[in-house]
Amino acid sequence: MSLAEKRKAKRVNCATVCPDWGCRQPGEHEGIWVVGELEDGVISEPSLQMLTPARNVAQKLGTFVEGIVLGPEEAEAREAAEEMIRRGADRATVIVGEELADRIPAVLASAIASLADERRPDVILMSATMRGREVAPYIASLLRAGITADCTQFDVDEDSGDLFMIRPPFAAILLAYIKTPTRRPQIATARPNVFPMPPRDESREGPVEVKRATDYVRARPQMRLIRSEVLRKDEVPLEKAEYVVAGGKGIGTKEGFAALEALANALGGVVAGSRRAVDLGLVPHEKQVGQTGKSVRPKLYIAVGISGAAQHVIGIREAGTVVAINIDRDAPIFKSADYGIVADWHEVVPALLREIEARRRMGSGKGT
Amino acid sequence: MGLRIAVGIKWVPNNQAVRFDEKTGTLIREGVVSVVNPHDLDAVELALRLRDKYGGSVVAMSMSPPSATKGLEHVLGMGVDEAILISDRAFAGADTLATSYVISHALERLGDFDLALFGQETIDSSTAHIPAQVAGWLGLPYVYYVNDVEKLDEGQRSITVRRLLEDRAEWYELALPAVLGVAMKSQLPRPVRLSHKLRVRTENPIKTWSNEFLKLDPRCTGLRGSPTIVSKSTWTPEVPRRKQIIDGPPEEAARKLVDILFKEGILR
Repeated sequence: MSLAEKRKAKRVNCATVCPDWGCRQPGEHEGIWVVGELEDGVISEPSLQMLTPARNVAQKLGTFVEGIVLGPEEAEAREAAEEMIRRGADRATVIVGEELADRIPAVLASAIASLADERRPDVILMSATMRGREVAPYIASLLRAGITADCTQFDVDEDSGDLFMIRPPFAAILLAYIKTPTRRPQIATARPNVFPMPPRDESREGPVEVKRATDYVRARPQMRLIRSEVLRKDEVPLEKAEYVVAGGKGIGTKEGFAALEALANALGGVVAGSRRAVDLGLVPHEKQVGQTGKSVRPKLYIAVGISGAAQHVIGIREAGTVVAINIDRDAPIFKSADYGIVADWHEVVPALLREIEARRRMGSGKGT
Repeated sequence: MGLRIAVGIKWVPNNQAVRFDEKTGTLIREGVVSVVNPHDLDAVELALRLRDKYGGSVVAMSMSPPSATKGLEHVLGMGVDEAILISDRAFAGADTLATSYVISHALERLGDFDLALFGQETIDSSTAHIPAQVAGWLGLPYVYYVNDVEKLDEGQRSITVRRLLEDRAEWYELALPAVLGVAMKSQLPRPVRLSHKLRVRTENPIKTWSNEFLKLDPRCTGLRGSPTIVSKSTWTPEVPRRKQIIDGPPEEAARKLVDILFKEGILR
């Protein structure tokens, strides 16, 4: 029996499941959904990234990938849906209507849940952006479905066709394979930047179906957006930075972070911090890298005065080259770095800055 | 009258102290102290500030094994008025759906509350599922990452909150009762006072709600009510890194490193 056949044949004994929740037979569900998030009317990069694991899982299961986009404007939502198709979705459904303009989490979630009730997808994937983390669990509670947060990998159980939702459960050095064998859909989120952007294929085409929000929104809003203010955008967000200079507890002071800032500026990158640095108030939480912060995938990550707890290292798995600077030769960060310098950062960081500036004055490519 | 505020707390192993046995792959539990999830203390602090400003009472609830009594004592020491331990073997092994199911029923039993506050996420599993799922079961409005309450209108039965996302600040007005996820590090939790602890211990001891009290179908709680199961676990595959230590005095090491980074095209 092929995996696709196994998946379709799967039946469970629903008498053992909570009677309040109804039966959702796995075999009756089909397709991998990726919920596309709009930011200022444009499909967000993190939601496009989710098409990468979706494609992979769909191929193993022998099923299709569908993009789901919700928004107030039909033209914008359609464009976003078409972009999802160009990036790997086979088809898309958009739900449009004024009700979705304020992005009330329960409203968005209820529209997705009622579409899921109608269509019965096997899997729903969402990016764990702040809004994604807010909306996805509400969908799960409406559908009485299981949900797994912050997955770092996905795979398929060859015996049952269940989705393996793989995440670090606790201290980041173990990976738990989580599945929801008795109920559908299988819902999961993954942090932005854990998966790469899928390539764009201009020639890919697929059907886009348009639905009206009035037919799908079930939640009474009971809340309204009063005001929204865009925060300063003069700086590259951490998630998009190509160069990241991160400091840990070892930096000690805000003045110390100013030195890191100077290096980051020279590189055209941004400063970040470990959880310890955030706890000490040296860096704001939105600049935290690690399990309880952000995952980053820069070209170069320089960890300064960071010991390298497993919870931190998980956030830099996708970094291109990792450099560690630490005075403690035994710091675990050196095991997760490409290049290490065992010395006091007070001396190394200014020296790096001088060397980079000197090289650039000489002109790149002329060096030894 | 005043506000009736419920705040959920979790008793968690302090994950800064957690170590693994590298041979067996198991958690070394010995000597690992548990704490109230630090992010929940932000929610407790916000609840206390609202009570202090508008009057009313704060009740802390924790679905945990009996050892969590210590955590409830901690928040009573901060000034919380009542504490309820939701504890039963039938609730053990719950995933977030089954946990939120029990908590939402406990909130229903609590009756007329105006606000249910939760920390943004926990330090042990950091799923951030519970506030949204509780709101889902109860059909209440909810919002995450709340930094501050701007206004509370008891007459209009509404609350205005400000929250921060990656790139913007948003102000929402929610009808009461509502569920709020409080942004981590948004409040400065007040210290514990022994006098609070002692007063509560005599006047209003911690209640325990077991399933005998909540009367939930055991097929909907604990491991049995959890759609997700952990089917296996493995070590995180290590990312291959070069692990090359660059020797020499700082100045020289820095020069060597910059040389390498330019040669490899990582710096331009």
